[in-house]
Amino acid sequence: MAEIFAEREREARELRRREADWRYIDSLPPRLRAALIFYIETGDLYVAAKIAGLKADEFNELRIKARIPHVN
Amino acid sequence: MMAVADTSFLIDWARFSLRDLLFRVFDTVWIPEDVLNEVQSERTLTWIADRLASGHMSLFPLLPEYRDRALRLVELSRRGPARGLDFPEAYCIAVAEDRGYVALSENGAAYSAQFLYTTARVWRAYEVLWELRRRGLVPDDVIHVHQEETRHKFPQRDVERWRSYGSSQSASKRQGS
Repeated sequence: MAEIFAEREREARELRRREADWRYIDSLPPRLRAALIFYIETGDLYVAAKIAGLKADEFNELRIKARIPHVN
Repeated sequence: MMAVADTSFLIDWARFSLRDLLFRVFDTVWIPEDVLNEVQSERTLTWIADRLASGHMSLFPLLPEYRDRALRLVELSRRGPARGLDFPEAYCIAVAEDRGYVALSENGAAYSAQFLYTTARVWRAYEVLWELRRRGLVPDDVIHVHQEETRHKFPQRDVERWRSYGSSQSASKRQGS
């Protein structure tokens, strides 16, 4: 079971990394950039929004602008 | 059937043009009070406010017994092989496991929790779409519409399962006709 979840997370992380618009992410202020990178690595919207200092759905809009897919 | 939804599910599902089909599956979708604080966009707020007004959604209070259980679930999740839960989705799971609701979440940790340490059922958009298709309320390609509109991607394994179910259903229909 542990392997299945590890594989799911690995697949999701790779997809987020691959599809992200890194030029856009790199152009953002440090706090937003850090939050998006955290999201790419973990897929955790709630904590990423807290890092960004945004509400969850504001962060979700930022995620979409950065072309990061939500994978689940 | 009743459900309790967390923020990750609501903000994702609110972008979907067929969002109101959710209420063909669930009689009531409970929204924990804290979840409302996490919602800011007009689109999501308007949808939630409309559905609260129509009675399809209802607010769920923050109760101490579920708060405690949610904290225990967060602790439990940190010991396991999957990613740890955050409090908001843990609260939904605590409510769902006690009251027999379905927890709606797009959080990967919440989804894996049902296979590891909770009796609660946790559905993502994928399971809701699956149920809608099973009832004949949406076409086979709805999964692509959903992915496009929400910029949400389902794992490859799930997409293949969706396809193979569609093929087997078509084959059964052909055999039946």
